[in-house]
Amino acid sequence: MAKLRIPATEADSSDPWEAQLRKGAVEMAALASLWQGRLYGLEIIRFLDSRSQMALAEGTIYPILSRLKAEGMLTSEWVEADAGHPRKYYSLTEAGRERLHQMAEAWVSFSRGLTQLLEPVLEQQELPQ
Amino acid sequence: MTTEMQIDSYLTALRHHLGPLTIAEREEIAREIGAHVRDSAEQSGTSTETVLARLGPAKDLAAQYRDGLLISQASRSLSPLVLMRATLRLATKGAFGVLVFFVGVFGYLTGGSLVLSGLIKPIFPANTGLWVIRYGRSVRIASSGVLFPPPAPPAHEVLGMWYILLTLTLGSLTLLLTTWAIRRSLRLSQRWQSKL
Repeated sequence: MAKLRIPATEADSSDPWEAQLRKGAVEMAALASLWQGRLYGLEIIRFLDSRSQMALAEGTIYPILSRLKAEGMLTSEWVEADAGHPRKYYSLTEAGRERLHQMAEAWVSFSRGLTQLLEPVLEQQELPQ
Repeated sequence: MTTEMQIDSYLTALRHHLGPLTIAEREEIAREIGAHVRDSAEQSGTSTETVLARLGPAKDLAAQYRDGLLISQASRSLSPLVLMRATLRLATKGAFGVLVFFVGVFGYLTGGSLVLSGLIKPIFPANTGLWVIRYGRSVRIASSGVLFPPPAPPAHEVLGMWYILLTLTLGSLTLLLTTWAIRRSLRLSQRWQSKL
């Protein structure tokens, strides 16, 4: 499966529509990565890379996490690590869990409908008139 | 330049470009980005220089933080100044932002003018109102608002003190509707462009 690379800048994207589609999904993906428990920024990037094939540019995730925290979707705490410096861990708040649930339902419903529409295209058949 | 000097240099530039944020917010961001650079270099075995290059210029990273927080705070604000500042920033990002900005300017100017003229009516009752001219059975609006001097006959003012109620109601509704529309647009823009 091809990786969904989130460009570092708009200019890096060859297809603006594809770039917009991916950007729209980043917020939901960031929230979803924290569903099982707390993670720090680099872990979120690696988690999304390995689990969703969404290769985020390293500078992309932190402003999004900052905004989601300002909106009350996330909380954060600094935790001392073996690395010799503390790491900032993010967790979902109750509002964040509810928001993610709403987003997941909307996404699944929307993508199911689109998949049905696109099946003939992928199978190289004519769409019904 | 040593590894720590490279990181410090990047974080200094980042703090500088995060200017409008509070000192606490700037330090929090710099601390997190510093931890990321050290972790990423250590865990992937790449050089600090490569990790910093992957983060992009400090100026661009700071702009993402500033825009995200500005629009996020504005989308929950009721202050026309805060909302218009965010729409101005959004206007630099594309056609949708330009449209939202002009809707904001038009809405606040119209609503503000209506409310202001309603408040002026008790002070200058003869100069404020809605003037019409009758042509047989038909009626044409000659002028409205605050006018010095007021329109001369055959134009005559028709609303009297009802003008106050009408303009205050319409003006307030226009201001509320404009605020709602801008806040809604800012939230939509966040979903469409998570990295404004």
